[in-house]
Amino acid sequence: MSETLPNLKKLERRPQDMVLTYDNDSEFTVSYDDLRHACPCAKCSPMRNEDDTSRNLRRQIEALPAEKPAVRTVGKYALAFDWQQGCSSGIYRFERIYDLANRRDPDRGKPYVHGAW
Amino acid sequence: MDSRIPLRGWVEVGQYGGLSMADSPVSINSPGASNEASAGPSPQEQKQMEQAYAQMKRKMAMEEIGRKIKHKIMVLSGKGGVGKSTVSTGLALSLAQQGHSVGILDIDITGPNVPKMMGLDGRRLHVENKRIHPAQGHLGVKVISMAFLLEDEDTPVVWRGPIKLGAIQQFIGDVEWGELDYLVIDFPPGTSDEPLTVAQSLPDIDGMVIVTTPQQVALLDSRKSITFSESLKVPVLGIVENMSGFTVNGTTSPGTEVSIAAPGGKTLSAKADGEGNFSVTLDIFKEGGGKDTAEEFGVPFLGALPFDPGFVRGGDDGVHRIVSEPEGPSALAFANVVAAIQDQLSDGTDGGLEII
Repeated sequence: MSETLPNLKKLERRPQDMVLTYDNDSEFTVSYDDLRHACPCAKCSPMRNEDDTSRNLRRQIEALPAEKPAVRTVGKYALAFDWQQGCSSGIYRFERIYDLANRRDPDRGKPYVHGAW
Repeated sequence: MDSRIPLRGWVEVGQYGGLSMADSPVSINSPGASNEASAGPSPQEQKQMEQAYAQMKRKMAMEEIGRKIKHKIMVLSGKGGVGKSTVSTGLALSLAQQGHSVGILDIDITGPNVPKMMGLDGRRLHVENKRIHPAQGHLGVKVISMAFLLEDEDTPVVWRGPIKLGAIQQFIGDVEWGELDYLVIDFPPGTSDEPLTVAQSLPDIDGMVIVTTPQQVALLDSRKSITFSESLKVPVLGIVENMSGFTVNGTTSPGTEVSIAAPGGKTLSAKADGEGNFSVTLDIFKEGGGKDTAEEFGVPFLGALPFDPGFVRGGDDGVHRIVSEPEGPSALAFANVVAAIQDQLSDGTDGGLEII
């Protein structure tokens, strides 16, 4: 939270990934598989705690048919992605998306415990 | 031949024929129905049909309500006793002060106390054409609560989950709210049936406001509410910290330094102004817990509400602090929280995000 977050200005959905452009002119590509694997919902998050279940989650995601999600803003702090198949529950805070864009662990190494990190 | 319509056919009539309450499912004629159907449904089937009919009507009503109410805000907390109903009524009244049309739906079935805070104690609901009409409290805020249905306030409601669920759906689907700018929904503490039912029944909920107090136990439970929101797919609008600090005002000789022993072994100092007035704020529980939790989870911090004994008196007397002292510090604190919520309710395109 201490890092100053640039504002996301443009999100371009492509068939397999999305291109994010920030107001500091930086540009990133995030694949939909990476995005879905980082879903912050209470169902997907615990699966990333263990390597085995995390790999399993990844395999499940990669087996889904390729699709462009519908994207909507959540207040002024997050984005939500609606998929035809698979989990659409996650509310992705802009910080989380920026972490993904920069290839950083969006969970910041913290295991998920329901109710509290 | 007068034949009864099986459920499937009846639902189709409802979808395309504009079903109304007068169109009883058991009295619709079907010229094309076969002779086998002429025996009619058994009483059990008839009851099922009637239930399905009522369910469908309710669902249609819920969708209608979804369209008529611009913003729907859930107020939750993980822990009891943090002042959720006080915050719900405060938000509703603060929004009403701005000139918005507002309603409060008190979903706390076992401990409904919004009517008391809104000066509607002992009221009964008006039912017309099988639609429930809300009571109107201070500043024209419409109120629906289980308390209106209780014979006396000492009678406990002992309901199992499914009955509770039915009552909640009725409170949503059968109430004639009219056009509203905001509907504030007050829940019992915890992450159980009630928010789940509402989130699944009422379309397009804007988000939830999580109420907490600064101490660690309440904060832990607030974290549950945040993760719960992600399961429900309802965004968190932010965290409100209630009972944040208690301000002590006093007078002494002008310019005098005053020291006050505060909780946690702290000493607070203040200097009296030219007229001898001084004030210090004691953090009864702790300082900044709600803000820290909001930062940890990356959700907005909507503001802190002061520890104000006037809320207790107002709650008991049925005159909320915002009504009795509309320009007071508590009313201003609520106005700031409302402004932060309204900021979150904007569609987020103000920042100019272009989605292609």
